[in-house]
Amino acid sequence: MRTAFETMGTVVSVATDADVSPRVLDAVRQVFAEYDETFSLYRPESPLSALARGELTLEAAPAVVRDEYARALEWRTRTHGWFTPHRPDGVIDLSGSIKAVATDAARGLLEQAGVCGLLGAGGDIMAFGEGVHPVGIVDPRDRARLLADLGLPAGRAIATSGSAERGDHIWSRLGTTDVLQASVIADDIVTADVLATALVAAGSSALDDLLAAFDVDALIVTREGLLATRHWPVREPAVPA
Amino acid sequence: MSARAIVGGILTSGAILGIATGVGVAAHPSVSVGVGTTGTIGTGASSGSSSGSSGSGSTSGSSGSGADGSYTGQSVNTPFGSVQVQVTVSGGKIADVTALHLTDADGRSRQISDYAAPILHDEVLSAQSANVQMVGGATYTSEGYLMSLQSALDQAGL
Repeated sequence: MRTAFETMGTVVSVATDADVSPRVLDAVRQVFAEYDETFSLYRPESPLSALARGELTLEAAPAVVRDEYARALEWRTRTHGWFTPHRPDGVIDLSGSIKAVATDAARGLLEQAGVCGLLGAGGDIMAFGEGVHPVGIVDPRDRARLLADLGLPAGRAIATSGSAERGDHIWSRLGTTDVLQASVIADDIVTADVLATALVAAGSSALDDLLAAFDVDALIVTREGLLATRHWPVREPAVPA
Repeated sequence: MSARAIVGGILTSGAILGIATGVGVAAHPSVSVGVGTTGTIGTGASSGSSSGSSGSGSTSGSSGSGADGSYTGQSVNTPFGSVQVQVTVSGGKIADVTALHLTDADGRSRQISDYAAPILHDEVLSAQSANVQMVGGATYTSEGYLMSLQSALDQAGL
């Protein structure tokens, strides 16, 4: 079964091995909608918008806002500041992580429904249930083509960030990064998403510092060529007999 | 199949060669400098050619075909610097592939990254859009989605 719907300023795609009941799909939609209502800076009525206008203090904000902000600050520390939950003007902006948080929550609903497959949100993908699921990564230099394909095992996530498209949650030194795109495979989609963002912002000279601290795989497109971690899942080459 | 044939096959076919230390390429061909035939990365790489000489002509430490030992490839230029790899054969199989040299554009020796090594696109990454169920990419807006490969997949309903 395959379906897609618009939410959080992007599109969520669901591909499963079996049909998912309308009730479960509604619940999946609802998860994204609730995170959007709370965290969107495009919705004037959201708590994040109220925080940005100075009409709401963190102390008075919903617990989920404080929790996610605290989580994002931890990620800022863990990425040496390359991932940040603040806009350049100082406004708290959790759009860099909250889509992944919502995706993870929605993935739980699909898993409980007993189906296997892929859940994608704005180019970040989680595999859930059982099995290995084929996914592709867009080539940032030609978006009509794939840069790579690979099997994503259930329980793993892949996130991709780029300096060429949108990039509204990559603030740091965007003008100077030499990384066109970074894809990260991790055990959870928040880690993958945050690190992909940080790798793009940091540029290739900081890759080792970032990657050394995490058990992830990464494929990075720089202006000079491709870089991959040693366990990036490539296919076995055909060796002539 | 002799070990020499394996080594030569890899070198001459342009298949990937791992250069991260301690990773056996036969078991984990997931690493990372392509010493290839296509020249898509190499700039004037004279070795790693398709002539077959790169495998046999540059070996050292072994006199017999398929014998255990170390085989050293010629230096190949990549945008990340020049790379030279050594393949260790044990029991007729590739036991290890190590980077002997990686120098930057200024000719200085450089420690090969433990975490991210250069790869040669065409040799390492398969990219068959017909086979994938979902496409990842840099975050797209709902407008960008309409022009994305993922959108095409969703519409195809496959």
